[in-house]
Amino acid sequence: MGMLSYYFRKSLTVCKDEVLVLPSRVAVGVFVVTILVLPLFSQSPYLLRILILSSIFAIFAASWDLLSGFTGQMNFGHALFFGVGAYSAALLNIHGHLPPWASIPLGALGAVLTGLIVGIPCLRLRGTYLALTTLAFPVILLGIIFAVPDITGGELGLSGLSRLTGSRLWDYYLTSVIMLVSCAVMWKITDSNTGIIFHAIREDELAVRASGINTIRYKLLAFSLGGFFAGISGGLYAHFMRIAGPSTLEVSMSFTVVIWAVFGGIVTIYGPVGAVFILFPLLEFLRFWPEYRTLAFALVILLILLYMPEGLFPYLRDKLETQCPRCKIRNVAKRKTCRICAAPLN
Amino acid sequence: MPTDFLTVEGLSKDFGGLRAIGNVSFSMGRNEVIGLIGPNGAGKTTLLRLITGILKPDSGTIRFKNTDIAGKKTWDIVGMGIACTFQNMRPFRRLPIIANVMVSCLSPRAMKRGEWVKKVEAKAMDALEFAGISDMALEKASTLSQGDLKRLEVARAIATEPELLLLDEPFGGLSPAETELMAKSIKRLHKGGRFGRLHSEGPAMIIVEHKLQQLMKIVTRIIVLDFGTVIADGTPEDVVNDRQVIKAYLGQGGV
Ligand SMILES: Nc1ncnc2c1ncn2[C@@H]1O[C@H](COP(=O)(O)OP(=O)(O)OP(=O)(O)O)[C@@H](O)[C@H]1O
Ligand SMILES: [Mg+2]
Repeated sequence: MGMLSYYFRKSLTVCKDEVLVLPSRVAVGVFVVTILVLPLFSQSPYLLRILILSSIFAIFAASWDLLSGFTGQMNFGHALFFGVGAYSAALLNIHGHLPPWASIPLGALGAVLTGLIVGIPCLRLRGTYLALTTLAFPVILLGIIFAVPDITGGELGLSGLSRLTGSRLWDYYLTSVIMLVSCAVMWKITDSNTGIIFHAIREDELAVRASGINTIRYKLLAFSLGGFFAGISGGLYAHFMRIAGPSTLEVSMSFTVVIWAVFGGIVTIYGPVGAVFILFPLLEFLRFWPEYRTLAFALVILLILLYMPEGLFPYLRDKLETQCPRCKIRNVAKRKTCRICAAPLN
Repeated sequence: MPTDFLTVEGLSKDFGGLRAIGNVSFSMGRNEVIGLIGPNGAGKTTLLRLITGILKPDSGTIRFKNTDIAGKKTWDIVGMGIACTFQNMRPFRRLPIIANVMVSCLSPRAMKRGEWVKKVEAKAMDALEFAGISDMALEKASTLSQGDLKRLEVARAIATEPELLLLDEPFGGLSPAETELMAKSIKRLHKGGRFGRLHSEGPAMIIVEHKLQQLMKIVTRIIVLDFGTVIADGTPEDVVNDRQVIKAYLGQGGV
């Protein structure tokens, strides 16, 4: 009992000193808590379905940011990893009779392998050439899938996968928790020493090599990590929708993830996640006016890109917080002095 | 006369039809500090890039500590103990200055060394301290002045604790006072010893520089390149009085 109250008080202190001091941290906290308690207020299957898909695509968008945002390896064919994750999970589930808890991680490993395979030719490419090459990979895989319809289901895809869990509510909790954990892990990676090297590779790869770092290894690591998390989201998608079809590999899939990431703000991880939770429900909502759906969607994106080129969330963050000129700690914008070093903020 | 430390033999590199380095041979000892001079476009930067593996030679060998390193990967060469700076500085602009140096500190060579301190930030900080820009550690690299960027280049290079340091115009764009400071740092570095958590091996050096006066005070030997070939190699006194060298420089409009 004493232990319990100790930890309770300790977490309250952490909450007060670390979370409540910055709007961005409060926002992340509110987001996590909302996700976890939402079913107490509504268990509408339609709402849960939208949020489940949002969680799945949030992992997908964050994984693009990890690979392309951080290391600058512009991947315009990220659907490849999503599709490989989805199809591998489906094949393992349908032909191998593996349950979701095995087929999804194994599917993600398949995506890692794919990441390594496509990463090797991508090592020598930069900029537009890299973008165009990556664009081609999912198309190639689609060709292979259509070539062997007996195994892959061809145009129709593979359907009849086992459900993620027994109920919509458990599906919701499973995907939400996997999303929160995956995004936390990705954020932690970008915040580590490895993340510094990823950043540096984006800035100047030659200088990283001259610093004694094996850039091939780190770029392949980025491809594998991006592939892994995108593969997880693909596997979750296949099991939730109970189908893995050619749409998972479509060009529009690859572009949508870029739009999400750019809208939310790249090189942040949280930006793409937030963007999916805004844009995906918005797109569903616009379904009520089908004739204006695409137009309205495009307009929203255009406005954001014009007025907030850094992306929505970095823009909001810079409005609400300022960086201390002396110690570089972030502070609430309305403060006069830094909360750590007491230097004046202006 | 070949040495065990660094021996370059018959090194050549063409860019299309242009012969940037043609049949260059020289060798240096573990404790030498060599000045590499020559008119613009003589091939000095190219020679350094061949040694660090940024460029692959068309022919010739580069032996470093009895291993042929010609054409090896840059990170392996850095791992063996050669570090370089860039003439036109190449910082990671959007990263804080300390993170710029942490990248070098995260290289396998730097991680293996430093018997009792493994902490990356601390070591990076000491490299910045040595270069004299530790007060700016948290600023973005894009905010640095020309002179401070030169120092950042040096800090990054020494963070791998090299045995051979290749400096490409370390005084370029520096004021006379800054040049003086940089020259002092270079001499101190060559003496070796401990700078905080950073250990200097007292590296041998090849310094490319156009400011000959300051260069002469540091180096014990000068190699002169012109059109990609060595036209003189000797003590500073010998070289400044060499007819061919005078001609190469005068033909270019003098020093
Ligand atoms: N990547 C490259 N591609 C084509 N030509 C190059 C390349 N790098 C250098 N050169 C050419 O090779 C020659 C030697 O260049 P280098 O940069 O080595 O000269 P340098 O002695 O360092 O000159 P400076 O004193 O101006 O720095 C020049 O004529 C240059 O134009
Ligand atoms: Mg040069």
